[in-house]
Amino acid sequence: MMKQIKSVDELMKFKEAALDKIKERKADGKTTIVVGMGTCGITAGAREVMMAIIDEIDKRNLSDVIVTQTGCAGMCQHEPIVEVNKPGTPQIVYGHLDEDKARRLVFEHVINGNVISEWALVQRD
Amino acid sequence: MHYYRAHVLVCMGSGCVLSGAPAVKEAILEGIKENKLESEVQVIETGCMGICDLGPRLIIYPEGVVYCRVQAEDAAEIVSEHLLKGRIVDRLVYRDLETKKPIPLMKDFPFLSKQFKIALRNAGFINPEDIEEYIASEGYTALAKVLSTMAPEEVIAELKKSGLRGRGGAGFPTGMKWEFTAKAQADQKYVVCNGDEGDPGAFMDRSVLEGDPHSIIEAMSIAGYAVGASKGYIYVRAEYPLAVERLRQAISQAREYGLLGENVLGTGFAFDLNIRVGAGAFVCGEETALLASIEGRRGEPRPRPPFPANEGLWGKPTLLNNVETYANIPPIIIKGGDWYASRGTEKSKGTKVFALTGKVNNTGLIEVPLGIPLGEIVYDIGGGIIGGKRFKAAQTGGPSGGCIPAEHLNVGVDYESLAELGAIVGSGGLIVMDEDTCMVDLAKFFVEFCQEESCGKCAPCRIGTKRMLEILERITHGEGREGDIEKLEDLCYFIKDAALCGLGQTAPNPVLSTIRYFRHEYEAHIRDKRCPASVCATLFNSPCQNTCPAGVDVPIYLDHIRNGQFSEAYMEVKRENPFPAVCGRVCHHPCEGKCNRAKLDEPLAVRTLKRYAADWVYEQNNGFPVETPGAATGKQVAIIGGGPAGLTAAYYLAKAGHKVTVFESLPFAGGMLKVGIPDYRLPADILAAEIKAIEEMGVTIKTNTRFGKDVTYADLEKQGFNAVFIAVGAHADQKLGVPGEELEGVISGISYLRDIKLGQAADVKGKTVLVVGGGNVAIDSARSAFRNGAKEVQVVYRRRKEDMPAFEEEIMEAEHEGVKYTFMTAPVSVQGAGGRVTGLECQQSVPGDFDKSGRRRPVPVEGSNFVIPADVVITAIGQNVQLDGITEAGVQTARGLVVVDPASMATSIPYIFAGGDCASGPDTAIGAIAHGKKAAAAIDKFLGGTGVVVKPRVLTREITGEIIEDKMAREKEACLPLAKRQSFAEVENGFTKEQAIAEATRCLRCDVK
Amino acid sequence: MEAKSICRCDLNAELEKVIAQHEGKKDDLIEVLYWVQENYGYVPKDVQQIIADKMNVPLSTIYGVITFYHLFSLKPKGKYGISLCKGTACYVRGAPQVLERFEKELGIKPHDSTDDNMFSLEVVRCLGACGLAPVMTINKEPRVRMKPDLVPGIINECRNADK
Repeated sequence: MMKQIKSVDELMKFKEAALDKIKERKADGKTTIVVGMGTCGITAGAREVMMAIIDEIDKRNLSDVIVTQTGCAGMCQHEPIVEVNKPGTPQIVYGHLDEDKARRLVFEHVINGNVISEWALVQRD
Repeated sequence: MHYYRAHVLVCMGSGCVLSGAPAVKEAILEGIKENKLESEVQVIETGCMGICDLGPRLIIYPEGVVYCRVQAEDAAEIVSEHLLKGRIVDRLVYRDLETKKPIPLMKDFPFLSKQFKIALRNAGFINPEDIEEYIASEGYTALAKVLSTMAPEEVIAELKKSGLRGRGGAGFPTGMKWEFTAKAQADQKYVVCNGDEGDPGAFMDRSVLEGDPHSIIEAMSIAGYAVGASKGYIYVRAEYPLAVERLRQAISQAREYGLLGENVLGTGFAFDLNIRVGAGAFVCGEETALLASIEGRRGEPRPRPPFPANEGLWGKPTLLNNVETYANIPPIIIKGGDWYASRGTEKSKGTKVFALTGKVNNTGLIEVPLGIPLGEIVYDIGGGIIGGKRFKAAQTGGPSGGCIPAEHLNVGVDYESLAELGAIVGSGGLIVMDEDTCMVDLAKFFVEFCQEESCGKCAPCRIGTKRMLEILERITHGEGREGDIEKLEDLCYFIKDAALCGLGQTAPNPVLSTIRYFRHEYEAHIRDKRCPASVCATLFNSPCQNTCPAGVDVPIYLDHIRNGQFSEAYMEVKRENPFPAVCGRVCHHPCEGKCNRAKLDEPLAVRTLKRYAADWVYEQNNGFPVETPGAATGKQVAIIGGGPAGLTAAYYLAKAGHKVTVFESLPFAGGMLKVGIPDYRLPADILAAEIKAIEEMGVTIKTNTRFGKDVTYADLEKQGFNAVFIAVGAHADQKLGVPGEELEGVISGISYLRDIKLGQAADVKGKTVLVVGGGNVAIDSARSAFRNGAKEVQVVYRRRKEDMPAFEEEIMEAEHEGVKYTFMTAPVSVQGAGGRVTGLECQQSVPGDFDKSGRRRPVPVEGSNFVIPADVVITAIGQNVQLDGITEAGVQTARGLVVVDPASMATSIPYIFAGGDCASGPDTAIGAIAHGKKAAAAIDKFLGGTGVVVKPRVLTREITGEIIEDKMAREKEACLPLAKRQSFAEVENGFTKEQAIAEATRCLRCDVK
Repeated sequence: MEAKSICRCDLNAELEKVIAQHEGKKDDLIEVLYWVQENYGYVPKDVQQIIADKMNVPLSTIYGVITFYHLFSLKPKGKYGISLCKGTACYVRGAPQVLERFEKELGIKPHDSTDDNMFSLEVVRCLGACGLAPVMTINKEPRVRMKPDLVPGIINECRNADK
C-alpha cells in the first residue's frame, strides 16, 4: 500500500514522480527519436537499435524524449536509420546504426546536443 | 519508473464498452505479448473522450493517432503495423466526411476543432482507476492550494468571479449557492453531488464519473472546506453501474492516500464521502426529491423555501451541485475565476458540455464555450445531418426544454439566448432532428415521459400531464379537433404556474415550443389528418405514399409489378397521376427519400419501376390507353397554360364530364416538361403520347394562344366558360443584376432550353460556356450545351455543392459528362469586348452565418475578384411568373405569385382557380400535378359536382409474396455510354423485365399492417 | 446473455447479513432493497416482511418505496429480460420501431412476460449511450445500433442458448 500523503509539499513531490506516467501523452517541446521500422529496417537490426535507445533513456531517466517509429524511407541500404529532432539542434537522419552506436547517439546528440557528423546521412531544415 | 515508448489508450467509457472495447483491449494485449512488446508498449484504460459513435476507440501515443470502430480482429494489424513498424493503419482512422481523406491525429479531428475542454479535461486522457495519473494531471493540486493558502471566503469569492452557473439545468450562480450554505449556522452541514442524470439524451455526468471520478471527489472536498461541511454524498443513478464502480474505487484510493478522511494533507481538515445509488425515478433529479431519496424515502419533492442551503439532508444546511458543475471547480481554483470567465458570454461564462445526438454524423460529448452558434455545433462539430438530409430542429434540455428550428441556427447557445427562443440549456442534451421527425409525436414523447415520471404529489402535474397526453394522442391518431391546440396551450400555462416542482413546471415546455415553431404540423394532423414526417402510423398507409405530393399508392403498384401485372401497375399510378411515363423519368422521387428499405440497405427504385410499367404499356399499345370521359355535365372550363398542372386538371375535369379547353402560348403543350426538360431526360415522343391520351378524352388544346393578348377573361366569359384555372408556370428569367448583362452572348437558361426545343438556340459549338446557378435549369443548360458541342462547360455557383437545389443524380451525371463546377463564387460583372462577352468577373465567397433555409450564407471576399474567360454566359439563377393579363379580373397576387387558398387552389375571384409554379413559385413536376388534381376537385365542386375526382376503390392490403429482410442490392438501370452523349438521346434506359420484378420484390410493404 | 437464476436457497440468510452491515439504519432502506432486487430478481412479499422486522420500518413504507422507484418490481421477470432504452436519442433514431417489432415477435406489451416466462419486455430510462442509439440490453448484455430486422435473430439466439 502506498503511504499516505501527509502534506501539500509531499503532494507536489508525489506529482513530480507521477508525471512519468503520462508524459508520453504530452508531445510539445520534446526531443523525438524516430526509428525506421520498415521490413528492411527490422531485418537490418532496427528492433535492437530501438531497444538500445529505450534502454538508454530508461537507464538515464530522461524525461521529454519520445521514441516513435516510421516505415521505410526508401534508403534501404543505409538501414537501420534513426532521425533525431532535438529542439535547438539540427534535425539529423543517421544511418548504419547498431546497438552501441545507438547508445552513443542518445548520449551525444540527445543529452549533450552534439551532432555525430560521421554517421549523419541527411540534415533537414 | 519504467519507460514505455508507446501508450495505447483504450476507451472504457460505457459507449465503447457497449460496442465491444473490452474484447479489443484483450486482443491488443495478446498481440503485444506475441510480438514481445510488453516492455515497450503500455496499454491503459481511459474514460470517454466523447466520440462514442466511433467506438471502440483507441489512441496511440506519442503520435496521438486515433483508431475508430476497432474490432478485436483488427488488433493484430494495429500491433504489427503501427506498434511494430510505425505505419498508421489507414483503414481504421477517422475519415473526413466530405473529402473522405483519412485524419489520423486527434488534434486534427473536426469534431474537436471548436471545443475547449475544462470539465472533460481528463476524460479519455488518464486512467480513471489510477489516482496517480490524476495527481500527475494537476489532480488534488487545487485542494492543496485551497487548504494551504486560501480562506473559505476566498474560495467562494474566486468561484463568484468565475461566473460559473449550475450545469444541471437551472443555471443558478454556483458561487451564491456556496455562499448561502457557508453562511447557514449548524453543527453539521453536508455537500451533495447530484449524479441522477435523468434527462433522456444527456450523458455528460456519466462520462465524468466514469472517466475522471477523482475530479468530483476533489471538488466536493473543496466545497466541504468552503461551506464548512465534513460529510458528503454522491447520488448516482443505478443505470450507471460503471460510474458507481469507478467512484467506489476512487473514494477508497483517495482514503488510502490521505486525500479523504480525518486529516486531509496534514492540514487538520476532515472530509469524507459516501455513495448513494438511485433506484430509477426521474423526479429524484429535483433537489428536494433527491435529498428525500438519500434519506431512504420515496423521492417526492417538497415546496421551497426552505432551500437546501438552509434545510437540506436531515434538516441540515446542504450544498447541492451536479457532477458537471463540480468538475469545473478544480481548474477554476488553479487558474483563477478570471481565466474561466474569459470564455463564454457576458452572462453565461465558461464552457458547457453537450451530449450531441440524433441525426448528426458525429455524435458524442462536446464541450464548447457558451455562446457558440447552434449551426457551428450541428455542422462544424456534428458534421451535418446524416444522409445529407435537411436540418429541421434541435431539441435542447430534454423533457424540460424546447426546440430550435432551422431559422435560428445562428443563435448563440447560452442561457439567455435559448430562453428567448423558448428553449433552455438545461442539462445539456442536444438532439438534432431532420425532416423525418414529427414534432407532434416528439411533444407526445416528452409529455408521456413526464406523465410516467410524475411522482403524483401535486395535481397539476399528475392530472395535467395526463390530459395533455390524451389530447396529443388523439391528434397523432387523426382524431384531433379544432381548438385542441388552444386547449393544449391553456393546459400548459396552467401547469407551468401551478406545479410544485421543476419537473411539472417545465413539462409543458416541449409542447409550447413545438406549437410555437411547428404549429402547421399540428394543423396538418388535426385538419388534414396528415403526418408530414410520416411518423404517426395511423395517419398513412406507407411513408412513400404519404410523401408523394400526388398521393400515388406506391406499394400497391410495386406489388403489381412484382406479380408481373404491369398494366394494373400503370393504371394504379394513373389513378392519382396522369403522367406515369413522365414522372417515371423526371420525378425528384421524394418517396425514395422516405423509403424504409433505406434503413436496411438502399431505398426502392420507385421512379424507375414506375417508368417500367408505363413503358411496358406504351410498347404494348403503341401509345397510352385513352380513358373514357365522364357523362357530360354541360359545364365548360378554361385552362390557361398547358403544363403539368393545367393538363392534370384537364384530365380529371374531363373524367368528371366537364368540357375543357387549354390555352397555350407556345406552339406545343407540355409547359416546363416540354421546354424546361431536355430530350435526353424526357424524350419528346413519350411526353407527346401522354398529352395525346389526355387530348383524346375530348380536351381541346389551343396552342400559340397567349392569354391577355390572344384571349382575355372577357372572351372566355363570352364563350360561355364557367370556371378558369390559371397554370401559366414560371417562364420568365430572373436577371443577374450585374453590369454587362446586355452583352451579346449572355442568355438566360430558361430561354436557352426553350430555344433548343424551338430549334432556334444560340450556337455554342466550340465555345467556352459558363452557366451561373445551381438549380435544375442550370444543370440542364450545362448538359445541353455540352451536347450542342461546347468546348468547355463550367457551372458557377455561389454556395457549396451540397447546397445546390438541383437533383443530386443530375449534378453527378453532368460531372460525369465533363461539366466543371466552381463553387462559392458569385458573379460581379460580365466582361466584354466589341459588344460581345469575353468573360465573367467573379468574387470568391466564404461561408458565413446561417440563413433562414438553414444553409450557410455565402459572403463575398472583397478584393478576391477574378475573371473566368467565356464566350457564352448562361444565367440560371431563378424564374419568375409573367402575370400579364392574369390580374385583370382582380385576381390577387403577392410577391409575384398568384395568391390561392392552399386547400382548394381558389383565388380571390370565385370562378378563378390557380396552381402550379405560378402559385407556388418554381417547384417540381409532381408538385404541379398535385396542384392540378386538387384544383380539378375544387372546380368540380364549384360546378356542382361531388368534388371527388379520384373514385374510391375497395382494396385489401395483403402480402402476395415473401418479404425479403436480408440485404438485397438495388437494381441499377443501364445508361447511355459517355461516347454516345453527343446527341439528345435518352441517357437512362430503364429496367429490363427481370430487373423490374427483382427490384419490386425488395418492397417491404409497409402499408400492410 | 446468461439467464439469471431465481433460486432463493440461501438468500434469506445472506439478506440478514446485509441488513446487519447497514446496522439496520432506516436511511439505508433503498440500499437494502437494491440488494434484494439484484439477488432475488424482484422483491417478494415475505422478504419485505423480513426487512420490516429487522429494520423496524413499517411494511407500508417499504411498499411505498418499492412502488415509487422503477428499479424495484413485485413480480419475477422472465428468464431473458429485454430492456429497450426510451431515451430521446434512441427515440429519434428509431427505438419505437424496434419496440414494435419485439411486441409483434413476442406477442407481449412492455412490462409483461411471455406465457412460458422465457422473455420479459421493459422500456427503461436513458442508458446514457445515446451516441450508439438505439440501445437495448438482454439481461444487462448490451446491443447497440438496433434495427427492427435484428429482432428475430436476437430472440432466436436466446431460445437456442436456452436449449
